[in-house]
Amino acid sequence: MFKRTAGLFLLCILMIFAYLPMALAFQSANVDDTLNLLTDQQVKELQSLIETTSLEHNLDLAVVITDQTEGKSSRDFADDYYDSKGFGVGEDYSGLLLLINMKDREVWISTTGRAIDIFTDARINAMVDSITGFLSDGNYNQACTEFVNQVRNYAVQGVPAGQHRINTDPGTYMERVIRQIQSPLVYIIPLVIAIIATVLASLSSKGKVTINNRTYEEKDSFQLVDTQDHFIRESVTQMKIPNNPGGSGGGSSTHTGSSGSTHGGGGGRF
Amino acid sequence: MASVKEYKCLNCKAGLTFDPASQKWKCGYCFSEFTKAQLDVALKEEEQEQLDQAMPDLDSYHCTSCGAELIIDGTISATHCLYCKSPAIIKSRFTGKFKPKRVIPFKLTKSQAEDLYRKWIKKRLFAPNEFKTQEEIKRVTGVYAPFWLFDCMVDGEIDGEGTKVSSWTVGEYRYTKTKYFRVVRKGKIKYHNIPVDASKKLDDTLMHKMEPYNYNDLTDFSLQYMSGFMAEKYDVEADEAGKVMKERVNDYTEERLKDTVHGYTSYLVQGRQISVADEAHDYSLLPVYILVNNYKEKEHIFMVNGQTGKVVGDAPISFLKQLVFAGSIFAIVWLVAVFGGALIV
Repeated sequence: MFKRTAGLFLLCILMIFAYLPMALAFQSANVDDTLNLLTDQQVKELQSLIETTSLEHNLDLAVVITDQTEGKSSRDFADDYYDSKGFGVGEDYSGLLLLINMKDREVWISTTGRAIDIFTDARINAMVDSITGFLSDGNYNQACTEFVNQVRNYAVQGVPAGQHRINTDPGTYMERVIRQIQSPLVYIIPLVIAIIATVLASLSSKGKVTINNRTYEEKDSFQLVDTQDHFIRESVTQMKIPNNPGGSGGGSSTHTGSSGSTHGGGGGRF
Repeated sequence: MASVKEYKCLNCKAGLTFDPASQKWKCGYCFSEFTKAQLDVALKEEEQEQLDQAMPDLDSYHCTSCGAELIIDGTISATHCLYCKSPAIIKSRFTGKFKPKRVIPFKLTKSQAEDLYRKWIKKRLFAPNEFKTQEEIKRVTGVYAPFWLFDCMVDGEIDGEGTKVSSWTVGEYRYTKTKYFRVVRKGKIKYHNIPVDASKKLDDTLMHKMEPYNYNDLTDFSLQYMSGFMAEKYDVEADEAGKVMKERVNDYTEERLKDTVHGYTSYLVQGRQISVADEAHDYSLLPVYILVNNYKEKEHIFMVNGQTGKVVGDAPISFLKQLVFAGSIFAIVWLVAVFGGALIV
């Protein structure tokens, strides 16, 4: 009897101890590790790394590890988390958020403000690739550290030349209609078509000549008497193929989050 | 010898007209019908037409039906009496050098030509409404138009530059090789029955657009086919028409020889030598329905090939209608681009 009670008590103690790290977990402003995949020490180090990076480059950084995405996609959850927690530096709330979604085993980097321009799709993809490599090995700390280091690395390089934003967000139908109305192409193309159609319709009103060079040729009367094909000369031209049209900058895909703010970013599975 | 010919019904002596639908001659009063053979037999004695002998021309005639005196325009060779509508053929204008060798009789009836006009005018998108509703259809006239039909032999040579272009890629470079050739083609062609408008009154380009006629219906000329139609005699001499023919033959020959150049990326004719020989011409009459509409002091001509029914014409163009048309196209495409485009963007 006593043994059993003692055993139960021991179990309770053990359970309390097991949960202790969570209760006493280090509270970090920029790292939200709800699953305790990082040690306190690792969170602290990450937090300080983020703070220096943030100061150096005027970019806010956040890391979220969770398996509760409130039914949202990784992208939407990351965007909303960033917006709702008030992350961001400056008027355009520049910054990045790394979401490690353990439920879907997915990683997502959300960019905002100036970060959208610095972190082009190509750069995001490169970052996601290296991060998912660590995550696949269960190396959560290294994945997070790699993220911050890569951010520093690209922030130093700045916005690549030729960078441009590409809005991949379809938006609601009415928003797309309005966007179409504002596009000059929607006026130029109909104008050109209208002019061509009118000119063609006006010209077609007069009849056409419906005979050709064979109409009055007597059947089988054509004889080819002589054919000559003399080679005269040849010339060769050399032209360098322009590589990578559009420049090295590349685009940054953007979309609009539920709060109405614009985000960029990308992700991958691990 | 009567200088004005009028074919009379063998039964009632009213005027006979040629009916394109049945290819027979019909009497408008007693509805009798006669074939060419019947007419030839009945009119045998007087029908040994001596058209080869030139007759003195006249500028007026007396209608053999009602006796009215009618002035005739310089080139009109078949017409109607202004008063009693009896057909009249001015024989002198078919004699001597004006004797046509062959004719394609009308195949299309006047009412068919009127229908074609109605359909045509309906499709004139930009014709002003006043023009469209003009009730001028009844003035559609069947005219035997004078043509010179040329035969000739052509020796042609074209000389030009052909290129063969090939390209390939080595590393970062794209190479393009162009080989140049001198390409010569010589050929002989025989042309048959090239028609050239022989009337100054009729617009050359419109008459050119009336082509082609189907020469299977080309028959020996007979005055009888003229009955009930208008006819014009030529006022463009064969020599003059021959120049037009030669220009056409030059182009035909060049194109024909060009068609034999194969295997080149491009071919440009730089010189041609074309000689026309064994030129022969026949004076023939080809059928055409004409309607001349006057609109705002400008003539607009509508024509139908009296054999094939091919339609050519020019109608006035209303700028307002063009604007409305362009505007609606713009609006439709704009709507599709905006609302349809929003679906796929």
